[in-house]
Amino acid sequence: MSRGACVIAIGLAIAGCGRTASPEVIWWTPNWGQTRATELVRRFEEANPGVRVRVEVTVPDGLPTRIQTALRSGSPPDVIDAQHGWVVPYAQAGLLQPLDDTVDARDDYSPGSLDYDTWDGKLWGLPYRIETHATLYNKRMFREAGLDPDHPPGTWDELVDAARTLTRKRADGRMQYGYAITGGGEVGNTLFRSLPLIWMNGGDILSADLTRDTVNEPAAVEAVPFYTDMYLTHHVSPPSTLQDDGLASRRLFIAESVAMYQSGQFDLEPIHRENPRLDLGVMMLPHPRGKPTAAALGGWSFIVPKDAPHPDAAKRLLRFLCLPEQMGFFTDTFPARTSAMSLPRFSDPLLDSFKRMLPYGRKVPPRRNWLQIVQVYFDNLQRILLKDTTPQKAMDDAARQIDALLTK
Amino acid sequence: MLFALPALAVIALLVVYPIVYTAWLSVTDAAGAFVGLENFKTMATSSVTSTAAINTVYYVGASITSQLVLGTAVGIMLNRRFRARGIVRSLTLIPWVVPGIVAATTWYWMLHSEFGIVNGMLTGAGLVAQPIGWLTNGRLVMPAMIAINTWKLFPFVAVMVLAGLQTVPEELYESARIDGASFWDEVRYIMLPQLRPVLVTAVLLLTIWGLNAVTVIYVITRGGPANRTLITPIQILRQAFEALEVNQAAALSTMYFAVSLIVVALYVRFVATRDDEVVS
Repeated sequence: MSRGACVIAIGLAIAGCGRTASPEVIWWTPNWGQTRATELVRRFEEANPGVRVRVEVTVPDGLPTRIQTALRSGSPPDVIDAQHGWVVPYAQAGLLQPLDDTVDARDDYSPGSLDYDTWDGKLWGLPYRIETHATLYNKRMFREAGLDPDHPPGTWDELVDAARTLTRKRADGRMQYGYAITGGGEVGNTLFRSLPLIWMNGGDILSADLTRDTVNEPAAVEAVPFYTDMYLTHHVSPPSTLQDDGLASRRLFIAESVAMYQSGQFDLEPIHRENPRLDLGVMMLPHPRGKPTAAALGGWSFIVPKDAPHPDAAKRLLRFLCLPEQMGFFTDTFPARTSAMSLPRFSDPLLDSFKRMLPYGRKVPPRRNWLQIVQVYFDNLQRILLKDTTPQKAMDDAARQIDALLTK
Repeated sequence: MLFALPALAVIALLVVYPIVYTAWLSVTDAAGAFVGLENFKTMATSSVTSTAAINTVYYVGASITSQLVLGTAVGIMLNRRFRARGIVRSLTLIPWVVPGIVAATTWYWMLHSEFGIVNGMLTGAGLVAQPIGWLTNGRLVMPAMIAINTWKLFPFVAVMVLAGLQTVPEELYESARIDGASFWDEVRYIMLPQLRPVLVTAVLLLTIWGLNAVTVIYVITRGGPANRTLITPIQILRQAFEALEVNQAAALSTMYFAVSLIVVALYVRFVATRDDEVVS
């Protein structure tokens, strides 16, 4: 890792050679927003003569490692786009500058997003993009099964009933499944689909202060079978469940082998493109009767490294990027500021349920060992799906292994 | 001696430095401070480590056995005279020639329980009623990985065996036939004894490759489901690049390196250096 740091440091040093005194802010932003970022830089430089901005494009693969290396290298860029969940761990390692003096109109931001980036009473990132999951469903299959596509299931019980009705042999002899859960592939996909169920039931993986695991307490253990039984008991999730991640579920949905699945709004575009005839509906995530729904809040924030060469110019850029119209233009999903939500691009009716899920979005625990904790949880969830053990025993084992990670 | 110096310098840079650096990482923490055997303790007491160790022994042992049996059989077969022998010999090499990541990705989709061609053929021919969960059934997934690994490397054994058989003097077969030996007698009393040095080398290489192999399993199952196919090299990979615990990964690597070294050393000492057969 230190050699990687060297390479990046040398690269940046060479890049910095021969620059004039006028500050050039370097902004690391992911590749999917490159065109929009370039356009924003044009607008910014027009309004702020004397400050120049250079966009450097990042790719999602290995990005956390790359950012961490840059932050520790001593010569990082000035502004970096990072996922919300990475911000506080970076801050705890002393790698970031607080941004309380940069944020305008705190009341306009979604509270969950600011909460994500806050630690030790200070704000360490400016959230600009937020999103949660909802449940996508196939309206034609609803009608064929005698269900009303305009009144999709709202509670867990209704979801199970609908999924069972929707699971049947199609006219061409192939099976159609009611509700696809994930149980393989990308580990994080299964967390985002099962942890909200634990939250809805009043449980969690870790205690609020992140010091104690709570994954084998009754509220959590009760919720886990609601997820796993879709595959084990109700047989409404396809036989490939143990090798399916979010992408595989989407493929099954596009192929109309599956009637409902949980995902984010980024799936809408590929579905339209690959199967334009699919009659798509979106519902909020079903919840236990009498308890509110919940979802994991995802998205991206801007951060300024502690060693940023031009912090003042960087903050000027951030104040500009966080204006409602610029933020609304830049985000791929939803903007973190409520006032930006009124822009025309967010008025697609298919986005309504995603929008209504936002207030129920909760942060995923920002903790140093979190990825290992997720792996432990995932491995034990798979043991349930393999019928190796009961939910209680699996979560007991998970708790024991998470304990060992927490005491480190 | 002076002539060897540049080569020694390159070896020091490419081989010695990474080993020393890994050893150093294994006794420090993320900030670079010395922590003694702390990382070793963490990894040795993790329940995942023992699961992975058992899986590794199973995976490597079963793979080598089946690669050896299948490879030797195919090598002996390809040594016989039959029509289109050249074509069959070339075709046999395909699995070995295909890049590992391409082969693994292809097998992943071929074995998929919904979209896979393997299940498509089995159900289409009426051999099974329900698609088989090759990668989702806890009892089938490791044998499936071993089968793919066998498929990938048996051509290497076959080629080695074929090359070895070319050096067997024809007179041995002739005198055996005069004594009335059957084909199986030739295999048992001429070919296998003559192939011993070749097979000893092949097993050594297969062991080293097997202990280092991650591609097939990592691409297809990532060690899942529920760590059923988790082998130690993948555990090291996860620890370093997914959990970003580089120092713990270094400790596990160091332990794994030591064990591998002992296995290979014992093999060379007791199997490979009998009589005049020296593998070095």
